[in-house]
Amino acid sequence: MSEPSVAPGPFDPPGVPWQPVSPRLTTARLVSAALTLVVPLAAGVVLAVLTEVTWLWALPAAVLAVGVWVVVVVPRQVRALGYAERDDDLLVRRGVLFRSIVVVPYGRMQFVDVQAGPLDRKLGIAKVQLHTASPTSDAVIPGLPPEEASRLRDRLAARGEAQLAGL
Amino acid sequence: MSQPAHEDLVWSRVHPVTPAVKGWKVLVVLLFIVGQQVTSNVREAQDVVDSLGWMPLVGAILGITLIGFVYSYLAWRMTRYAVDAEAVYLQTGVLFRQQRSARLDRVQAIDVVQPVLARILGLAELKLEVAGGADSAVHLAFLKEDGAQRLRNELLARAAGVSFGTEENPEAPAAPENEVLAVTPGRLVGSLVRSGSMIAGVVVVIGLVVTAVAAGSASVIVGALPVMLGVGAMLWTRFAGEFNFRAAQSPDGIRLRHGLLESRAQTVPPGRVQAVELTQGPLWRRKDWWRVQINVAGYGVTDQATESVLLPVGDRDEALLALWLVLPDLGTEDARGLLDEALAGSGQERGFVTSPRRARWLDPWSFRRTGYALTERALLARTGRFVRRLVVVPHARTQSVGLNQGPLQRRLGLCSFALHSTPGPVTPTVPHLDREVAGVLLLEQAARARTARASAGPERWMLELRDQADAARAQAAREAGVPLEAVPRVAAHQEPSYQEPSRQEPIHQEPTGPAQQAPAHQGPARPEQVPPS
Repeated sequence: MSEPSVAPGPFDPPGVPWQPVSPRLTTARLVSAALTLVVPLAAGVVLAVLTEVTWLWALPAAVLAVGVWVVVVVPRQVRALGYAERDDDLLVRRGVLFRSIVVVPYGRMQFVDVQAGPLDRKLGIAKVQLHTASPTSDAVIPGLPPEEASRLRDRLAARGEAQLAGL
Repeated sequence: MSQPAHEDLVWSRVHPVTPAVKGWKVLVVLLFIVGQQVTSNVREAQDVVDSLGWMPLVGAILGITLIGFVYSYLAWRMTRYAVDAEAVYLQTGVLFRQQRSARLDRVQAIDVVQPVLARILGLAELKLEVAGGADSAVHLAFLKEDGAQRLRNELLARAAGVSFGTEENPEAPAAPENEVLAVTPGRLVGSLVRSGSMIAGVVVVIGLVVTAVAAGSASVIVGALPVMLGVGAMLWTRFAGEFNFRAAQSPDGIRLRHGLLESRAQTVPPGRVQAVELTQGPLWRRKDWWRVQINVAGYGVTDQATESVLLPVGDRDEALLALWLVLPDLGTEDARGLLDEALAGSGQERGFVTSPRRARWLDPWSFRRTGYALTERALLARTGRFVRRLVVVPHARTQSVGLNQGPLQRRLGLCSFALHSTPGPVTPTVPHLDREVAGVLLLEQAARARTARASAGPERWMLELRDQADAARAQAAREAGVPLEAVPRVAAHQEPSYQEPSRQEPIHQEPTGPAQQAPAHQGPARPEQVPPS
């Protein structure tokens, strides 16, 4: 499918150098999706084989369809993820079908989280999350290499401190 | 926090009657649970009573209640608080000790709450909201009523940087206040009768009666009783919470008082209101009534929305006056005209940017009304034709901004714009804008939020204001060639940058009713009852 997103639009402000996230995030997401899907798939197959009711095959088929959908969508989602550090704010965008972009001025940042689960650590990625006083800000950058994550964290913290102003 | 021990702090206990007041909670909860069990299984309860007799049951309830009281007593023994120039300190906990300090320059609001029992006994709870998310407030319960008031004055004075404890001002002065808005019980009832939950309730009742008649049995109605009770409870909560609502203006913030059984006196210091929303349901339109709600960091995370209400119901003038209380300067020449347009208008008048015509596929009803307008200081988001809504967010209070786009919006070249505010009832969004317009708005609004913040006032606003007021007074005295004492002091009000009188444009033009004494005519300046220096 061709993406019309190459045309400059609200999600591609002029002069913004977007940084992609690591493609290893695709692997991480596919693995965790596979782990969650394999149990219902197996259960559906076992049920269909044991009961020998033909229409029960619809269940594993549906799970499989979801799996195929995930395989198609996840790489595109990961490619769509991006962030940009500008002089005064951080931009994060994501989404293929439902797209969103958020702009967080550094001065509004309350704290920064860096998280990495076991799978993430194995694959060498981490998640950076910016928190403002608003829970809806939702500035999450998953799939960063750990050194980039800590660099971003320190940079954000430094910039936030320089521009910080109450609530 | 790993602060050094505050040896010089003067610790005090909360009122000794506290355990007696709090201990009853255990009994109430217990009776509630027992009552619920009994009503759901009457027969089993009867069997239990028959086999055991009444005595063990009553004994058990008494025993648990006693434990409740003993625990409350221990909790009281272990609770102490202290105040110094920087913060409020609170130590609590019987088994798990907790020390909490709340910095005064971070206080978002101070409430004096009186539940029924405490009110009868002349006690009150002091609640300091700090913006630390859920359950970050500091509760001092219970204090004597006048003690709570005094402590509140002291905390507000300290938060503002007003000096006291000198010979002239041994005690923190209570800031003078000026009642601006009041809601009569009649109007509150009227507003509830015309409210959304009432409409829903009536629709349900009509539907039930029709089905009952059609089915020829009354059992449908019995089945729907919980729904009716729910609606009733909701209406009652609003009535009891918003009863006798009064709003006053004072140099240390907005004062809100309300409550039928549990009374609440809130003080929100200037600049702590993050967003304001004015709403009007369909049945309020003929009366031109509006409801005003606010986002204050720390409020509205845990409790019902009663504390986030700036005005439960009021006509347009009152609602705009309420808005003016929290945002004295919208940063525009003709604030009233803009707001009239924002409340009831539609289309591109007065600088409003609305959804393009193609948005009618997604929002056929109100696409002409959905839109935003910008002033120097705030963004106005106008939505809804059935339920009219206006959200005002000062640029200086914008946390972050974002855009969202679904597949249909993308096909139509539309985008939804969202401003992120602190948690609360107000969520500022402008749906279905033209995508180019939204893209420009996104970056511009982020820049505006930043620059507005750079020039926003200091945390200890009163110091700054006093300096400004003193300087202005001295200059006036020099110009008039009179001694300084001849020039009356004027109160510093709200954020310092809002002081420029040439810009000040009262939203309110023809105040009526309880707003008669509104200071809107003379702008924010008015005499302050400060002892002459």
